[in-house]
Amino acid sequence: MGDHTMSQRFYSRRELLWRAGGGIAGLGFADLLSAAPAVTAGQVLSPLAPRQPHFTAKAKSVISIFCYGGVSHMDTFDPKPLLAQRAGEALTGKGPVVPSQGHPGGLMPSPWKFKKHGQCGMDVSELFPHIAGHVDDLAFIRSMVSKSNDHGPALFQMNTGFVTAGYPSMGSWLTYGLGSENQNLPGFVVFTDWRGGPIGGAPNWSNGFMPAAYQGTPFRSQGDPIVDLKPPSDRSPERQRRWLDFVQQLNEDHRRRNPADTELSARVASYELAFRMQTHATEAVGLGAESEATRKLYGVGGKQTDYVGRQLLMARRLVERGVRFVQVYSGGGNFQESWDAHWDLKENHEMHCAETDLPIAGLLTDLKGRGMLDDTLVIWHGEFGRLPISQRMNGRDHNPYGFTIWLAGGGIKGGQIVGTTDEYGYAAEENKKSINDVHATMLHCMGMDHEKLTYFHNGRNMRLTDVEGQVIKEIVD
Amino acid sequence: MAAASLEEEAARVLKDNCTACHGAASKLSKLDLRTRESVLTGGEKGPAVTPGNHAASRLYRFAAGLDQPSMPPGKKLAAADLDVLKRWIDAGANLPVQGVQDDKAAALAKLEERPITAAERDWWAFRKPVRAAVPSGNRPGGNAVDAFLAAAHRANGLTPSREADRRTLIRRASLNLLGLPPTPKEVEAFVQDRSPKAWENLVERLLASRHYGERWGRHWLDLVRYADSGGYEYDRDRSHAFRYRDWVVKAHNEDMPFDKFVRLQLAGDEYDASPDSLVATTYLRLGAENNVKSEQTRLDELDDVVATTVQGLLGMTVQCARCHNHKFDPIPQKDYYRIQAVFFPFKGKDVPIVPAEEQARWKAAVEAVEERVKPVRKQIMAIEKPYRDRIMDAKKDRLAPYVKLALATPPEKRTEGQRLNALQVEKTLNVLPDELDAALSAGDTARRKELLDQIKGIEQDRPAELAHAMTVEEPGSVAPPSHFLIRGATGQHGSLMKPGILSVTRTEDWRYPEPPAGATSSHRRRGFAEWVVSADNPLTSRVAVNRIWSQHFGEGLVRTPSNFGKMGERPTHPELLDWLAVEFVQSGWSVKHIQRLILNSQAYRMASDDIEANLAKDPGNRFLWRMPRKRLEAEIIRDGILAVAGSLDRTVGGPAVHPYIDPDLFQSSSKRTWPGKPDTDPSTWRRSLYVFNKRTIGYPMFEVFDKPDGMAHCARRNRSIIAPQALILMNNASVLLHAGRFAERLRKEAGPGLNDQIRLGYELALGRPPGASELARAASFADAGPNGLVDFCQALVNSNEFVFVP
Repeated sequence: MGDHTMSQRFYSRRELLWRAGGGIAGLGFADLLSAAPAVTAGQVLSPLAPRQPHFTAKAKSVISIFCYGGVSHMDTFDPKPLLAQRAGEALTGKGPVVPSQGHPGGLMPSPWKFKKHGQCGMDVSELFPHIAGHVDDLAFIRSMVSKSNDHGPALFQMNTGFVTAGYPSMGSWLTYGLGSENQNLPGFVVFTDWRGGPIGGAPNWSNGFMPAAYQGTPFRSQGDPIVDLKPPSDRSPERQRRWLDFVQQLNEDHRRRNPADTELSARVASYELAFRMQTHATEAVGLGAESEATRKLYGVGGKQTDYVGRQLLMARRLVERGVRFVQVYSGGGNFQESWDAHWDLKENHEMHCAETDLPIAGLLTDLKGRGMLDDTLVIWHGEFGRLPISQRMNGRDHNPYGFTIWLAGGGIKGGQIVGTTDEYGYAAEENKKSINDVHATMLHCMGMDHEKLTYFHNGRNMRLTDVEGQVIKEIVD
Repeated sequence: MAAASLEEEAARVLKDNCTACHGAASKLSKLDLRTRESVLTGGEKGPAVTPGNHAASRLYRFAAGLDQPSMPPGKKLAAADLDVLKRWIDAGANLPVQGVQDDKAAALAKLEERPITAAERDWWAFRKPVRAAVPSGNRPGGNAVDAFLAAAHRANGLTPSREADRRTLIRRASLNLLGLPPTPKEVEAFVQDRSPKAWENLVERLLASRHYGERWGRHWLDLVRYADSGGYEYDRDRSHAFRYRDWVVKAHNEDMPFDKFVRLQLAGDEYDASPDSLVATTYLRLGAENNVKSEQTRLDELDDVVATTVQGLLGMTVQCARCHNHKFDPIPQKDYYRIQAVFFPFKGKDVPIVPAEEQARWKAAVEAVEERVKPVRKQIMAIEKPYRDRIMDAKKDRLAPYVKLALATPPEKRTEGQRLNALQVEKTLNVLPDELDAALSAGDTARRKELLDQIKGIEQDRPAELAHAMTVEEPGSVAPPSHFLIRGATGQHGSLMKPGILSVTRTEDWRYPEPPAGATSSHRRRGFAEWVVSADNPLTSRVAVNRIWSQHFGEGLVRTPSNFGKMGERPTHPELLDWLAVEFVQSGWSVKHIQRLILNSQAYRMASDDIEANLAKDPGNRFLWRMPRKRLEAEIIRDGILAVAGSLDRTVGGPAVHPYIDPDLFQSSSKRTWPGKPDTDPSTWRRSLYVFNKRTIGYPMFEVFDKPDGMAHCARRNRSIIAPQALILMNNASVLLHAGRFAERLRKEAGPGLNDQIRLGYELALGRPPGASELARAASFADAGPNGLVDFCQALVNSNEFVFVP
């Protein structure tokens, strides 16, 4: 893998795979053959069959909590007292300040107070009182940079590593690389905010040039989790089973005439899987099975916390059942509905933090209590941060030059703070980290070498990290 | 000769490896490595060298590959040179007084010149295709295509399959050429046709169908990443894009010569500029459109055009040459920028394609509407003004003290911060619609509503948008300057670029024509198009016939249809590929001519049976000993369901339609909406080609069946088989609706007998009657109350036999 000179071998291995029965995943899949379990002739190999990582992994699953719109780091995890001292003064000495929208103002102080928390002494503002209790499990990166100050490209970069659309997303790479531990559920699940999806839409969880097996499946937080999971109510499970048996009889006859065609077998298998998925997916998100205490931990039933609480509890249940990658979006729709605090930072962040603080803390507590934090990597992030100067008097504009994210569990050393921004929080200064670095670190936690996880496309071995990225060694065990 | 000093040695290493990009010609990362001072100052990432400590020096770390990206890009520094750098840094990093001597011209030449060797030109795909003699030893009745295949069969000890039966053949050909299953009548007629030309006649009938262009045009749309919206944040609908889609369909139906098809898309405005030719140039504007307009995004969009064009027409990958010479193929970075220079001058422009009088009438009608709206708007503003003023005052009152102070300070005495804040208040403090709505009294709300209703009434008279072509314009006959970009970095200009081609295909330069007198564009695109379709271009014809082949047999003769370079596959039948390529050009670039050759071959009519002995020798069917079975594409499965249910609206062309999508799947924000109509609305029962291609909202059934997302050139669709596909065909309301309509149709057309209904169901969906045991089993299944037949119908369209082309 990762060897540019083996195109001939590549294709012969692809044929070998077809012969063995795994052709259903299409081109590129052959790169993983060596990692796949032994396949006997005629057997159908699911494109999501679990595969060995490159090396022993700490993490088995990832939960990405995507605060879409962009969280203000100066108001949450990266205090800048200078902003209060110099309130209203121009931001100088940093070269031309480039806002995404016009009319930059002077420096704007944070409306919130900070306190130090945990053994590590991490500064957390009063917006995140519950997450503050977990700082010793979290690794903060305060020196993140992104390539775009525009939502669409920045979202794409966070999800796919590229600012242009059309590339496979993190979840696609992980399910392509590792398959999934549970064949009765999708391996890559996405929850969006009830107010709307993120800018850019479906390309954010796209499989790009990979086969459809690796695309994210949007889950609903109420009712049937997957659109078209169940037939209309007039079709009883018995009626559907009888129907499916008939379909499979038709398929069986057809296959008997073409016994070596593994695609036909694969399609027969896909129907059985779909049928099982109907029960399993429903069970997986059934919160009724959770104790009252657990539900409360996540804020389920709480006025502001119910929605995110339910989603994160569902996320835990999914990774518990072997789902590889779950992404939960906080924020969606227009104006204040996402974290995009152009207008009124105070109202915006108070609302979004109140919605997410308790549920996220609940998730961390719950994972830890169940011993799942060791093999579940949690990543909290937006697509960029916000500027230290004012916009529209009370808001802050986009800032790709410096922002904070955190990671926890799954082989991450807690209580770490990596990198700094300058005295205003305008730009990353020491130990800058790129999104490629975060992706490399995520893959590392999952047992994958980001330079070796490749997919052959358009004459190149493509990577999640393109040609860059370094594992952030400071925060991995 | 005295040994060079360490300083001189270091200067040499820097000059040979570093200063082209970090020196006279360019200072990438703001780094200049020519003097000790500039080395110590460093660039964006900090000082390049810490004297005395190589391990802490960025220059060393990048050069040694300890930090990424390793330098110099794309090559490894020689161990001896790395050692020089190491010792030099540890010794204090002094440089000769004059620094590293590197002048701009030499540095640029190092970056820009990349000669192509004779051996590189000798790569199979760069040699002109030559028509080889048709091999002898063909099977009786075989044509030239068969003769080439037979030779390979013999050489590899393979036995070709028998001919498939007629029902299979007509189903295969109909799905392949029209994307629609044959009707029972058509099947019967073909089965009964005793004429020796039965097959040939069938092929001719299908090639002449108006639905042929809908099927084959779609393959082209995959290559050019067609969509009906612009993508990214705004994802604006492109209400005129469909005219291009219709043009592609028509061009296929008419068998427009492929060279003309290419010329018009690249430069229709520079040929005859007829309305149709302008519509063809929409090709240049099909890419996704970033809402941020900057030099960077413009270059990214150009990159998309260059990549799509070179991959689609020439089967080569070029995107990597944006930053450096191609690593595997002889494509210098300069070729990239010379091809970019072809497209550099154009900008998008929507041009009305109706007569001038109609345009004038339209303009007058619009102005009339606006004149009538104006006074009503004035009245609304008068109602709102006092409220607006009050809200603004209250807002000013709530501003932070330092902002109030800024406003209170006389403009000439304001600090820079105060100036910015005051300006911000002036420019951005405003009243939001919600705030105004909440403040308005009941009476004023009612008065305003009445006025708004008046406007709505007037707006009824606004005429519909005129037909436009999404075409392009250029600033004039002289192209604006474009440059080689060092390492692909925006603003890092190398030399001025003239338009060019892939230089490996010719030993002498391609001459671009001078624009004719009075030209309004540079005619570079025309010059480029002429090279693409010139008789001695080795790539275009091969790439085109290979794509035709791949859409008939599931795989091309080259199985990487958009990569004929070193990282692609070699042709399995090089002589056949060349023979077809030459034949293609000599036939006047007739796509249908090549298709006739393929369709009338024995190869196309082979059965798809397993043959054990062959499977052992050629499991991948590379030598085409059988017709491979292929899962149908997303759109064709949906079209098939609509067709057999008797629901399909077969109208060709026109604006796209929006069938229902569950709102949970697109969760609208103001910028992403999907005006889906109910499943029961027959206006959505059009062929899938006409389903609106919204870049940020995929139609779920298409997404799970691997329809490409329209973001980038798609050379070959994936053909996955996954559970979510089954869920949709099992449970989706639209599928169930048409299963019900299918059952209704059977009752109506086959009469009351269940066996007759089942027979007709098989014939409609699978193109054959059921066998006796199949019939009995189906009857016992369907004889289960009123839903039995519906479930049977849904089972047919879910079956493998329905979903795979035989």
